[in-house]
Amino acid sequence: MRYLVRTSTVLRYSAANAWADFRASYTWWSWTFGWLGRMLAQVTFFAFVGIMLGDQAQLRYLVVGNAVMTCVVETMSVVASSSSEGRIGTLPLLSAAPVRLAWVFLGRSVQWPVSGSLTALVSLLALAPAFGVHWSPTQVPALVLLVPLTALSTYAVGLFLSAFVLTASGARNLLSNSAYLVMMAICGVQVPVDFWPSWVRSIASTLPLTHGLAAIRSVGDRAPVADVLGQAGLALACGVGWLVMAVLAFSLLEQHSRRRDAFDFGG
Amino acid sequence: MRLFRDAFRFQAALTLRSPDTVHVLVTAPLYTVVFMAISRHAHRTDLAAYAVLAPVLMSLWSLALLTAGDLISRERSRGTLEAMVATPASFPVVVLARITAVTTISTVSFVESWLVAWWPFGVVVRVEHPLTLLWCLVLSALAMAGTASAMSALYVLLPTARTLQNSFTYPFYLLGGILVPVSYLPEWLRPLSRLVFLSWSSDLLRSALSPAPVVDELPRLAAIAVLGAAGCAVGGLMITRILRRVRSTGTLART
Repeated sequence: MRYLVRTSTVLRYSAANAWADFRASYTWWSWTFGWLGRMLAQVTFFAFVGIMLGDQAQLRYLVVGNAVMTCVVETMSVVASSSSEGRIGTLPLLSAAPVRLAWVFLGRSVQWPVSGSLTALVSLLALAPAFGVHWSPTQVPALVLLVPLTALSTYAVGLFLSAFVLTASGARNLLSNSAYLVMMAICGVQVPVDFWPSWVRSIASTLPLTHGLAAIRSVGDRAPVADVLGQAGLALACGVGWLVMAVLAFSLLEQHSRRRDAFDFGG
Repeated sequence: MRLFRDAFRFQAALTLRSPDTVHVLVTAPLYTVVFMAISRHAHRTDLAAYAVLAPVLMSLWSLALLTAGDLISRERSRGTLEAMVATPASFPVVVLARITAVTTISTVSFVESWLVAWWPFGVVVRVEHPLTLLWCLVLSALAMAGTASAMSALYVLLPTARTLQNSFTYPFYLLGGILVPVSYLPEWLRPLSRLVFLSWSSDLLRSALSPAPVVDELPRLAAIAVLGAAGCAVGGLMITRILRRVRSTGTLART
């Protein structure tokens, strides 16, 4: 019980740190006209690809896929913000503290899935109708649940990758950008997962985005509730799986770094 | 010229040793996979050339913007900015040469994108007008360096503008018609896109891969050069004026 209380306190403080970090990075103006504007431009960019292809179904597919993708792009910032602890030299202190490193980093970047969910919902509900993708009021609550589910489960993937750049911050953009582009390619964002060979489909099936996006598309297609719940359950299961792997990766990193004195204050 | 060459070589060495700076060389093939998959799935193999060219321009643009932002802030954090400004060497020339180095490196992404179209998609994109392609790539890289030097001046003046660095990507990919030609954009947006050199570059690069003869090649190359030179002139002027001001007020470290 004491362990749970202590862990939740660490998560709370870490999330407060994340929020402070977010407020230091953005004002409401720079978030709205800088970040949100950029992400809406990304969705518009792919929507125009759909227009160029001249097929309404293709346009709809691209708009929904890329609107949801915005939450993934933002969520993968967890890799960069986690690695910033290495650059500013706080890792030895965190390592010496009587808490598991994984819980600190679980709360440390939680601003990204929250902000990403907001970005994706604005893209789906405000921008997508401009390209002919409309939602009925009964579909909106499902989107409001499924988008954060997709963002949070993808956050676990990003957290797992963060463990690998904690002591190699020079590769943070390389890793996070490559990871989200791979997801953009194979998870059913631009083309159906069936388009790819079976080994690629197998990889895609382990990624939460594949199932979260499938659930959102099912909502759009007015598929039976069981289909939506099935895909949402798979997204959640994948997210939990990646979270377990992230916790293991951070534990191994912690042990290895303590033994080899790999964390330093130098940044 | 010697200053330009030395700054160019310094930045090239620095860039090749930093995995994050050359991340576009990893992301460009991934973008090609994304664009090729869309065109293949839509049975539009005629768009393969677009899928190869778009990541090249995206690499040029994003790497130049990243360098423009990093260049000043890194020198500032290392404490070498003041020394750089105090030397008799022209600071705008150093900035321009260093950005030119990274834009030159990022043109390698054309070879990568071409290879990705060939394998795994089995599409051989033929370069029908190699000289046009070469000139267009060289001029686009220089125009990009000129435009980015103007951005670096903005970052000296307003360090908070770096937060928005990422925001200068997709709006310009859209305006520059790098994947979807400008003719698909709404009519009211087209005149604006003609002020972005990328729109001229993307059009001409597509013409270079098309079997049809290239029409108005020289005026189109000139448009890229003029818009790039305008960016360079604005950047140089802004950097010079900003440096004069911070020298006289002694606020370089605080800008």
